[in-house]
Amino acid sequence: MTLLLPSRGRTPDPAVPGPPRRRRLDLGVRLLLVACVLLVVVGSVIPLVAVLTAAFAPDALPRYAEFITSPVDLGILRNTLVLGVLVGLVGTALGFLFAFVQTRLAVPGKRVLHVIALVPIVSPPFAVATATVVLYGRRGVISNGLFGLEYDIYGLDGLVFVLSLSLFPVAYLGLLGMLRGLDPALEEAATNLGASRWRTLRTVILPLLAPGLVGPFLLLFVEAIADLANPLVVGGDHTVLASRAYLAVTGEYDVPSAAVYCVILLVPSLLLYFGQRYWLGRKVRTTITGRPSGSVHLVDNWVRWPIYGLALLVAALIVSIYGTVLAGSVTRVFGVDNTLTLDYLEEVLAGVGREAVLDTVVFAAIATPIAAIFGLVISWLVVRHLRRSAALLDFAGTLGVAVPGTVLGIGFVLAYRPERYLGPIEVFPSLVGGSAIAGGAAAIVVAYVIRSLPAGQRTAVAALTQIHPQIEQASTDLGAGPLYTFRRVTLPLIRPAFLTGLSYSFARSMTSISTIVLLVTPETKIITSQVLSAASTGRYGVAFAYCTVLTAIVLAGFALLRLVVGAGANLHRVASPVPQFPRSRDTERPKR
Amino acid sequence: MTTVVPDRAVASAAEAGAGTLRLEALTKTFASRTGTVTAVDSVSLDVAPGEFITLLGPSGCGKTTTLRMVAGFEDATSGHIRLDGKVIDLVPPQRRSMAMVFQSYALFPHLTVGENIAYGLRLRRQGRDEIATSMRMALTSMNLVGLEDRSPHELSGGQQQRVALARALVVQPKVLLFDEPLSNLDAKLRGSMRAEIRRIQGMFGITSIYVTHDQDEAMSMSDRIVVMNRGRVEQVAAPGEIYLRPASVFVADFIGRANFIEVVPEAVVDGRATVHALGQRLDIAAHPTLPAEDGGAYLMTRPETMKLTPVTDGGGGIGVVLRSTFHGPTIDYDVETTSGTITVTEPGRDPREALDEGTNVHVLIDADRAYLLARD
Repeated sequence: MTLLLPSRGRTPDPAVPGPPRRRRLDLGVRLLLVACVLLVVVGSVIPLVAVLTAAFAPDALPRYAEFITSPVDLGILRNTLVLGVLVGLVGTALGFLFAFVQTRLAVPGKRVLHVIALVPIVSPPFAVATATVVLYGRRGVISNGLFGLEYDIYGLDGLVFVLSLSLFPVAYLGLLGMLRGLDPALEEAATNLGASRWRTLRTVILPLLAPGLVGPFLLLFVEAIADLANPLVVGGDHTVLASRAYLAVTGEYDVPSAAVYCVILLVPSLLLYFGQRYWLGRKVRTTITGRPSGSVHLVDNWVRWPIYGLALLVAALIVSIYGTVLAGSVTRVFGVDNTLTLDYLEEVLAGVGREAVLDTVVFAAIATPIAAIFGLVISWLVVRHLRRSAALLDFAGTLGVAVPGTVLGIGFVLAYRPERYLGPIEVFPSLVGGSAIAGGAAAIVVAYVIRSLPAGQRTAVAALTQIHPQIEQASTDLGAGPLYTFRRVTLPLIRPAFLTGLSYSFARSMTSISTIVLLVTPETKIITSQVLSAASTGRYGVAFAYCTVLTAIVLAGFALLRLVVGAGANLHRVASPVPQFPRSRDTERPKR
Repeated sequence: MTTVVPDRAVASAAEAGAGTLRLEALTKTFASRTGTVTAVDSVSLDVAPGEFITLLGPSGCGKTTTLRMVAGFEDATSGHIRLDGKVIDLVPPQRRSMAMVFQSYALFPHLTVGENIAYGLRLRRQGRDEIATSMRMALTSMNLVGLEDRSPHELSGGQQQRVALARALVVQPKVLLFDEPLSNLDAKLRGSMRAEIRRIQGMFGITSIYVTHDQDEAMSMSDRIVVMNRGRVEQVAAPGEIYLRPASVFVADFIGRANFIEVVPEAVVDGRATVHALGQRLDIAAHPTLPAEDGGAYLMTRPETMKLTPVTDGGGGIGVVLRSTFHGPTIDYDVETTSGTITVTEPGRDPREALDEGTNVHVLIDADRAYLLARD
């Protein structure tokens, strides 16, 4: 055998011809794969391609030159990036603060704190923005009424405040799981070797969590620069790319410009997303051994009080904001005329808002199970079954988060508004806009699914990677095929994650705005876009009433899901699939 | 203890005449940053039905990878696996008629002990009565009666281990695979579980492959041991032969303790050679790879096959006692000789009667239990 190329490795034994030794995937697995690919292509890839096509069409190309020479446009880009960095930092720090208090501090009221930290997930983000203006704005109830300040909340500072408070629960939940999953023996080992608590935090906990801290940071960054509603409400003159693109498409009907802004927004979003994947891929650490030993030692000296105090302050801000939403929906003009009134709620529930409430609930209810199931299936395929294509499918599934909602919305408009003809025959009807079939409902549901898919997928991937593969291998080994194993072993074990995925999907669908605002039609009204129009026209009472109703629906949805899927959303059980011995009670409590 | 003999299981295993496993030049390479790493390098092995084979070697020697290729969890890069003559390289694990006992036990945490054991039976679409019968048999033979409604996490480590074994056994696999199943148990329990596993395996007559890095475990359980090092098979033989006739210095050193004395044998005739060592002229069996002439060799002796006799009238001894270590049943002596320091183990008498450090001694070698190995 002559070798034409210098071979670095061992030459294969010529006696054993090397046939491609790849076992084919199970038929059921392949069918699921096809379904997932189809969904992602229709929901993310085609709209994205539509945006890119428009952005690189000949008439759009001069806009790039204009962009780099225009100080206004460059300012918008800088505004966007500064906002992303600040929100990423502040939000991750808040998330870590709350997770640390939950898992490592011996303080009372942790359950209440936990619930408060989750409140922003279940309400539309601009509830925070609107309430912040009412409370802390120039004529704010607290800033002006209580402290006599005339603080201008509109702008970067207001945006960072609002977005950090709205988005930090994502970081909190991620870090909470990670802190709980850390093998306490690692900390005990550090302490045992003579490290102080602070040193243990610095040299063991934080390095182990580093990938976990970078993840939420990048996620918040992407979410912050993609956000559309808050810049419209409290942005002031701090224009960002998302709001600029939105205005270009809705106000100026300038599609090429909108597409160009989209592409410029896409670059940092996708870069950060790839950066995050690379970072996480490089730093794989199995911190969860499946047989945790030792027990968590809670901080019970004076250090806990300042940390706790900080968390309480943030909690108080959250309570004040959501209290305002609630109070604002049942008073005439909260802070000015505190007369109780049910007019706003009536308008929302029985009047013009009724249609929006019904549409939103129906669309979200359709999208939620689809998104959660696809999220679960994609994560299962990615973690357990695919090899080289795993990263690709995982990425495609998370495009709904990686791609800013505004970009996705514009993509939907570009791809699905025109009818597609093949000769004289209409082969594909219009799905978006006034003349769309079912008033654009199909596009809205698909957008909901795509936007909330990554949440379920992320939760499921996390849960799956924590289940020792040997548990599934044991099932396969006993004769079970992949689908049987999934149904009988994997699914019961990650049921809590599935419930979380469903809840996330529902909440995300109900509160989704940036994509949806571009897809609503006169026939299909969506709560979030109603809030936006109410808030931007100063009808705060109506906006608050919508927010209150929306939050109530989301909470009711959670309760219903819990009832249907079954309780036991106990993260602890997900984290330790391998049987472990019950921890003794007294070691978990502070010794005193 | 009464033993319930499961006639049905024995009968079925015998009927099928099943469980002949054959590995042919099995190789696994992984891509790594610096190139490719060969984890398993052309491993060939024939396993007879009902045989208990142990893969033994230091960590990273490729034994677990070999086992996982047999189970079907890893694809071989080249080579073949045959079960009862049929190539099963591309058969997915669920259709390989094998069952594995995992190091982490991998019990399903959301199922009870009974449901765990019945898991494989349900998959085989057995009737309710049949499942109940098999279950009762498994529970009885594994001493798990009364625990079937417990959750795995309510059991002790030893009990979890027995559930894992029962779960694998009830499906009547052609081959049982063990991936260091005892490494998470304490020493005493490990001892009794060894006997238990061997008893059950013998009772059902199932071909077994057992991966371990514990030589004691391998010696006490196996029909044959496969000693592996750096992905290659160093030797395949029964425990006694591995111990007294190791195929290489690595095997001799890895299994038990050994002294290696450099010698220059006279011509090798009929697999034996005459050597001079420690003042003695000995006729020793030689490993086939020993060159017939002009080769240096190692004389391998086990510490307990040698004897010390003190030289009382000053001088004339072949060595000096450096140190004695009392172990209870035995005493170890480190003896400094002109051929280096060697270790001799003698039955432990009263420690006060042990030879003092500095005593001049003769060292007697038992030529029947010594072996000549080629120098690498």
